[in-house]
Parts: sequence; C-alpha cells; structure tokens
Amino acid sequence: MTDLTLILDRIGKKLVGDVAPKLDGDYAHGHAVMIGLMNVMAAEMWDGAADRLQNEINGLRGLLMAAGETPDIAPSPSLKISDLSRERDGLARELIVLQTRLEARPKDPDAKLLLTKIWAHLLQTAAARMPSPPAFGGPPD
Amino acid sequence: MPMDNIEAQFATYFAAQTPAARNVEITSISRIHGGASRQTYAIDLHYEDADGPQSKSLILRRDPPDSLIDTERRIEFAAIQSVFGQAELPVPEALFLETDSAQLGAPFFVMSRIESGEPLNPFDLSAIDQHRREIGEQFFRHLGSIAAVDVATSPLAAAVDTPAADQCWRRELGYWAKEIRENAQSPQPVAEGCIRYLMNNPPPPAQRLSIVHGDYRTGNFLHDGAGKITAVLDWEMAHIGDPYEDLAWATDPLWCGNDSERAAGFIPWPDAIAAWQSASGCEFDPAIFEWWSMFAQLKALGIWVSSAKAFAAGKNDDPILAWSGWFTHSAHELMLAARLAGKFGVPT
Repeated sequence: MTDLTLILDRIGKKLVGDVAPKLDGDYAHGHAVMIGLMNVMAAEMWDGAADRLQNEINGLRGLLMAAGETPDIAPSPSLKISDLSRERDGLARELIVLQTRLEARPKDPDAKLLLTKIWAHLLQTAAARMPSPPAFGGPPD
Repeated sequence: MPMDNIEAQFATYFAAQTPAARNVEITSISRIHGGASRQTYAIDLHYEDADGPQSKSLILRRDPPDSLIDTERRIEFAAIQSVFGQAELPVPEALFLETDSAQLGAPFFVMSRIESGEPLNPFDLSAIDQHRREIGEQFFRHLGSIAAVDVATSPLAAAVDTPAADQCWRRELGYWAKEIRENAQSPQPVAEGCIRYLMNNPPPPAQRLSIVHGDYRTGNFLHDGAGKITAVLDWEMAHIGDPYEDLAWATDPLWCGNDSERAAGFIPWPDAIAAWQSASGCEFDPAIFEWWSMFAQLKALGIWVSSAKAFAAGKNDDPILAWSGWFTHSAHELMLAARLAGKFGVPT
C-alpha cells in the first residue's frame, strides 16, 4: 500500500474519532486530537507538496528575471521536498532583497508594476500552502 | 518531573509558604492541556490551621523546557496582581511566585483557581451561540477595563519597562521583527514586507499608556455556559503599551470562529467598539486600528515561527507547537499577504 494520503487521512480520523474520546479527562486527550487533526491536514497537503514547491520556484525565478536578475541559486538536483525547499528558500531570500530595492523607488512605474506582481505571487502561494481547516473542528485550546 | 514528585514537593513548598498550615495534604493534582507557554496544573489541597480544617483550589504554572512565548513568570505574576480586584475584572488571585528552580525543577507561580468555567474553542464558538451578546459585551468591557487600570501605580510597572507614548509601536514592532528574523526556519517575504510597511507607515503616539494583556482573545477566558465570563487568563505576554494592541489582537479573524461580521465573532463592531471605549475612556480611530491590526498578524507570525523552531529543535514536543508552526502560521501569512497585496495594487 503506497497511498500515503489515504493512510494519513484514515489514521488522523481514527485518532480524533476513536482514540481521543477514550482518553477524555487525561492530558493525552488533547495530544491525540492535535495529532489526529494534523494527520488529516498532512494527508491533504502531501499529494501536492512537490507541485506547490515547483510552482513557487517557477514564479520566483520569473519575478527575479523580470527585474533583470539572474538568480544565483542552483536548480534542485531532485524532486525531493527537501531539495525543492532549499531552492525555493534561496530564491525567496533574493526576492526579499529585490522587494526592498523596488520599494525604494516609489515613483518608478516599472518598480510599482513588479511589486504588484510580487504580491500577487506571494498571495497565490500563501493561499496554496494553506491547509483546509479540518471538518471536525479545530484543536482544543 | 513525574507527577508524584511535583505533588510531594509542592506540599512541602506550600507548607513552608504558609507557616500556620499543618498536615498539608494534596488531594488531587492534574495537568491541564493547552497553555504551551507554561505547564499548568490544577491542585486541590487540605490543611489545618488555628481555625480548623481548610481546603484550597490552586493553579500552578511552571516554566516548560521551551514554550510558545518566552517570558518571565514574574511579569505574568505582576500583571495578575495589577488587575486583581479592578473594575470587576474576573482574574484569579496571585499567591506565590518562586524563581528558584530547586523547588520544582523550574520557576513557577501559584494562583487561586476559579472553579466555574470552560475555555471557548476559538475555532468553534457554537458553545456560546445563545449568549454571544452577553459574552461579547463582557469581553469588550473587560478589555476596556484592563486598558483603564492606572499603570503608574501597578505592580506591572515595577516589573517591566514603561515606554514613551510615541515609542510603543516601535518597541513592539522591533521586538517581533527580531523574533521572526531570529527564529524563522525559512525566508519570510510576507512578514518582511509587512515589517517594512508598518515601519514606513507608523501610527500616532499611544493616546494613553495601558496595561496590555498581550494575548486577550477567545480561548484565553473561561465562561460558565450561561453567558458569563468567569476568568481572564494567560497573562504571560502582559506589558505596558498602546491599548489598541489588545483590541486588534482580540478581534483578529483567526480566533473569531470564522465570523467576520461580528467583532471577535460575538457582537456587531459598533457595539464592541462602544463597550471598549466606554470602559477604557479611549477613542477609536479606524486608521490607527488598521496599523495595529496588521501588527497583530505580524506578532502572531512571530509566535508561530518561534513555536515551529522549538518543535523542530526537539526542545518541546507538544503537538500544539507543530500546529502553531503550520496551520496558524499559514492562516496569518495568508491574511497578511491578502492585506498587503491589496495595498500594492493586486485586485482582491
């Protein structure tokens, strides 16, 4: 069985629905609920993780190149999440520097347009990274 | 430290702090879930003194190996002392402060336990559906009452620095920007963009210096199920600053049960603002609130990245730190990205 999305989702629901209620009154109850919720969230996010990172990387490279820059960040050697994350992080650091530089040119329409594109990218990628709130409520406080 | 050890050592500690008490016996002790910034225990004990048998219900808050929020327990203790008995604010009485780790393995403090009340899940307000108005009115009135407490004579003023009115925003922004930069495990372009925006568009000086609870929100008060707030808890982030800071934090969308129509998910915004103004004596300006509201979300990111770091480093394996570093971080980053995108011309 290699469907990790299925496994994580079922384990999470089992923890929240079956295991946690049996621990009611014990300190471990809260832990079981939290772990279950995060399993379900991980199930949702697992399948698209590499795709999301690749989209972020493509977007970041495009924005940096639109500013006339050639990012000094080597492409990821594999599709491992860890490798893609390293590439994305390196590009994001360069983006922060670029944003700061563009904001120092408030009267430059080109800078303003690129800043708008950068924020559109940041909004789109933040939305893509947002897990759905689990359907059976949030964590205990 | 195992529970048995805490029980025995706390009984010894209590007896030493209460010379008139004899035959101190702990009848129950249990750890309360949540509150990752402190390990929190509910303790019941019996003892005898000159007036005969006595019993006490206490809360013990002990420093964990690492926490969501890095603060000193003496500040939390002083904050509770500062508001106890003020304007009908429902807060427990601060009893003992112990800074010596030798007693229970870590510094701790003890307060009375308020018996009636349950916390409200910030992601699901249905438990108070029938009492939203009563809870909301108290929620904002208590918040205003905290802002109205005389800072100069408060124990908190002796425990923390008092900023100048025109430095409140700068101090808080600087602190949380530093937290983000020191603790984030990956670049934070949204947070960095927000820091620059807030720095370049500062609010006016605070209209008054107030006690700021620092984490006043749904989830950090108890209610009795019949429309009454019975306790305002979790004062570990208290400081002196601009009263807008608490108002903005209290009304952040993340702890409003997904209800953006009502302030904090409780009552219409005009009613909430009126209750806060009446109790605090402060004026409300939407433009100033907007700055503090954005700041609240940046501050949240600071807490969440610190949580993620502590969890990843293995200093504290409480799953709530992973939740905070993931779900709540993602939620606040998205909220801030949407706000800033609008300010930079992205159609939203």
